[in-house]
Amino acid sequence: MTAPTPSRTYDLSFARYVYDHIDGGQRLKLCMQCGACSGSCPIGTQMDHGPRKLFMMIRAGMKEAVLTSNTIWNCVSCYNCVVRCPRQVPITYILHDLSALAIEEGYAEAKKADNARFAKAFWWSATVFGRTDERLVTARYYFSSGLGEGIKKGMANQAIALAMVKTKRMHLGMPHKVKGVGELKAIVAKAAEIQARHGKEG
Amino acid sequence: MDKKTGAYLCQGCGLGDALDIAALEKVAKAEFKLPVIKTHACLCGDEGVALIKADLEAGAVTLPVIGACSPRVMTDRFQFPNAQVLRANLREQVIWSHPAGDEDTQMLAEDMLRMAFTQATKLNAPTPWKEGEFATTLLVVGGGYAGLTAANEAVKAGHDVLLVEKSAQLGGSARGWTKVVPSDPPYREPQDNPLPALVAKVEANKAIRVARNATVTKTAGMPGKFQIELSDGSTHLVGAIVLATGSRPYDATKLGHLGYGASPDVITNVELEIKLASGKVTTKNGQAPKTVAFIQCAGSRDPAHLPYCSSVCCSVSLKQAIQLAKADPQTMVYIVYEEMRTPGQAEEFYRAAQDAGVIFMKGKANKVANGAGLTVTVADELLGQEVPLGPLDLVVLATGMVPNSTDVDAPAQEYGAELLNPDINPYPAADESYKPAPIVPTGGPILNLQYRQGPHLPMLADGFADSHYICFPYETRRTGIYACGPVRRPMDMAETADDARGAVLKAIQVIANAAEGASVHPRVGDLSYPKIGLSACTKCRRCTVECPFGAIDETEQDYPVVNPTRCRRCGTCMGACPVRTIAFDNYSVDMLSSMVKAVNIPDEFDEKPRILVIACENDAYPALDMAGIARHQYSAFVRILPVRCLGSMNLLLINDALSGGYDGVVLMGCKPGDDYQCHFVKGSAMAKERLSKIAETLKSMQLEPERVTMVEASIADSARLPKVIDELVATFDTIGPNPFKGL
Repeated sequence: MTAPTPSRTYDLSFARYVYDHIDGGQRLKLCMQCGACSGSCPIGTQMDHGPRKLFMMIRAGMKEAVLTSNTIWNCVSCYNCVVRCPRQVPITYILHDLSALAIEEGYAEAKKADNARFAKAFWWSATVFGRTDERLVTARYYFSSGLGEGIKKGMANQAIALAMVKTKRMHLGMPHKVKGVGELKAIVAKAAEIQARHGKEG
Repeated sequence: MDKKTGAYLCQGCGLGDALDIAALEKVAKAEFKLPVIKTHACLCGDEGVALIKADLEAGAVTLPVIGACSPRVMTDRFQFPNAQVLRANLREQVIWSHPAGDEDTQMLAEDMLRMAFTQATKLNAPTPWKEGEFATTLLVVGGGYAGLTAANEAVKAGHDVLLVEKSAQLGGSARGWTKVVPSDPPYREPQDNPLPALVAKVEANKAIRVARNATVTKTAGMPGKFQIELSDGSTHLVGAIVLATGSRPYDATKLGHLGYGASPDVITNVELEIKLASGKVTTKNGQAPKTVAFIQCAGSRDPAHLPYCSSVCCSVSLKQAIQLAKADPQTMVYIVYEEMRTPGQAEEFYRAAQDAGVIFMKGKANKVANGAGLTVTVADELLGQEVPLGPLDLVVLATGMVPNSTDVDAPAQEYGAELLNPDINPYPAADESYKPAPIVPTGGPILNLQYRQGPHLPMLADGFADSHYICFPYETRRTGIYACGPVRRPMDMAETADDARGAVLKAIQVIANAAEGASVHPRVGDLSYPKIGLSACTKCRRCTVECPFGAIDETEQDYPVVNPTRCRRCGTCMGACPVRTIAFDNYSVDMLSSMVKAVNIPDEFDEKPRILVIACENDAYPALDMAGIARHQYSAFVRILPVRCLGSMNLLLINDALSGGYDGVVLMGCKPGDDYQCHFVKGSAMAKERLSKIAETLKSMQLEPERVTMVEASIADSARLPKVIDELVATFDTIGPNPFKGL
């Protein structure tokens, strides 16, 4: 089931979908718009909207604006907001699950969200090798925005890369893998199957 | 029995070290020739108290003057049966606020004793006024939740009740409501209306006489002896009155800008309550509404309508929204609010409404349009944009409450409205955006008081029948008449029940005290009352007009007549009287004036000025005591004269002080005016007014008007007052010595 797209402001269909299907959504009902989350956020200045306003936009039924905002991607999971929220809203979980919804429903592509592309590269490495390979994740992320852009970004960060190799923070051989990559893939495939079967509730 | 004054000087608490006690004894002996003069190392100890007691019992002394600590402390120790006691404050206001062993400190202590010994010569034991029979029945006006609770509680406390209800049925505003805002834990679900059970209880109670379809046509007399006449012609004698006339909803027809009247689907919270009670909420189409918006503060906190917050509308909308959301979870319920005000435990109720899926929009509803469905335009503060909310099936206006401090159905009387002093209004006149509600709301008086000061109950701001929300809850400015419930301030049912209990306790207290001839708050238990010497009276009417409580009426010959149990013993009449013919047994202009004159005034070459501080004993005097406790030092040139209220300050005192050689006079009292702190409502305001009129007199005496000044003091001013005193002493010093010194 895809989330409903309200046709007018303050249509509650999208808000109700979020309450019922997003991780932590039930607590989101209790948000009283105090703004402690936005005030606590260390990278609030890097967000289109703070969490407080994003939650109000959910209530207002502004589905597209919510799912294309960079707020859901720029959260660094520091949990400052969660700790401070007087109504115990698990803000971090909600933002992360909203980003999953954004990918699922194609909003991340439409925005060409930087962080979405990085998350995809990360997920690729994690599922293929069971580990994150700094070199390959970075390369995949750089080139996801096109060949020219990839080369440009790579060249710009050359010095950092060499320094990391030198201090053995990045290695140049074959990527490390976990033992039993086949089993990992089976686990991921099973998880995807369960999710597909149950929808978001799974 | 002859009056025998005894002096008892304490040497404890450092008094013996800081002062020359032998010199103090000399004052008592040489100047006042007192028969008994004793000192003790610790007068408040068992031995010291026994010393005084023995002298009293032996008849050697009838009036002990105790030179020790402040009269505000050790009152239980220095209390003797059937004896008046005077205290000279040598500790807090002498040795704790002035340097020890100093010449000026010693002079101050000696003057303190002189004032006390002089006071003793003028002091008589008060004889209480107890004429005739006193009634113990309570009159409760208003048969709503407040009145019913009051009646029920009064009966529980052993008093008969006469309950007067204007309509044919008991219950008032809350009659017919099914669910109310929760007052019991966990505060999450609307509760059943407690009213029907209470009505049944009251109707079944034989001690409560209920008069339905009745109003009060006449209230004469005074606490303990109110003569009541009802519209059915019956007359009753009651001891006290509880006013529980409640409130009515604000007139929604004035809310056209919020769409009221444009569509039958724009209704008020009261109208929705009726629909909810009927069990069926429908729109004009007969359908259950699918989208509902509540607009909070509809006509409230709005200078053009009701300037105040009615405190319950937020909780009521939460309750109604929960009821709608629970009835059909698919209903979209919005509450458009500016501030969500959830007093008491209603914050939990707010969470319950959020849990139920009610959506809260913070912002002002600017417009309600009626097209294809209703649209509310909200200036949404949280989204930062103007949001059209709609189409809506139902719009509910959360209107506020208007106090029934007058009977709106009765015609306004020609006489009396102008007598309500417009001197209490907490909004500054400078705030032009605020237009206060008229002092006298529309309609006639409820109690029809047969008082010199008119038939109405004086009102506080916005027409509520109260005198001070915080300091004197329930007390109106008419003694023995106590207001409770929404007629006093906006409140919900749980608060109303508490309020009714409080007002009943006040009423019971006045019934008991009136029968004993004793005063009620703030001079609880005071047995004195003003006596007017009619032979000197010039019928100027200042006492009848200035009394803050309307205690003095006029006879047909225009002579003043005191209703003793209405009196609160502030002495404002005594301060007002131009011929000084009003006095209490234990408090008079003569007594104060003699105390002023008792102080030794050094001649001008001594360079020891004397400043008279006339201090209100409710706030200023305790603040000065506290200054001493904190060891704040101030000039030893001041002589402090405590008065019951600055209102009792007669201009003669100022005249006597200045002609007697004092270099300055300072009146220290509570804040007068709009947001007054005066314990007697307007005593300090009256003092201020009197003061404004003496500048000319001073000039004619060739005295500088700056020699007399007024200082506002509150109980919290203990650190500030010493500085103020020192500054004033410096100012008087620059003016120079009083030319009348030594004459």
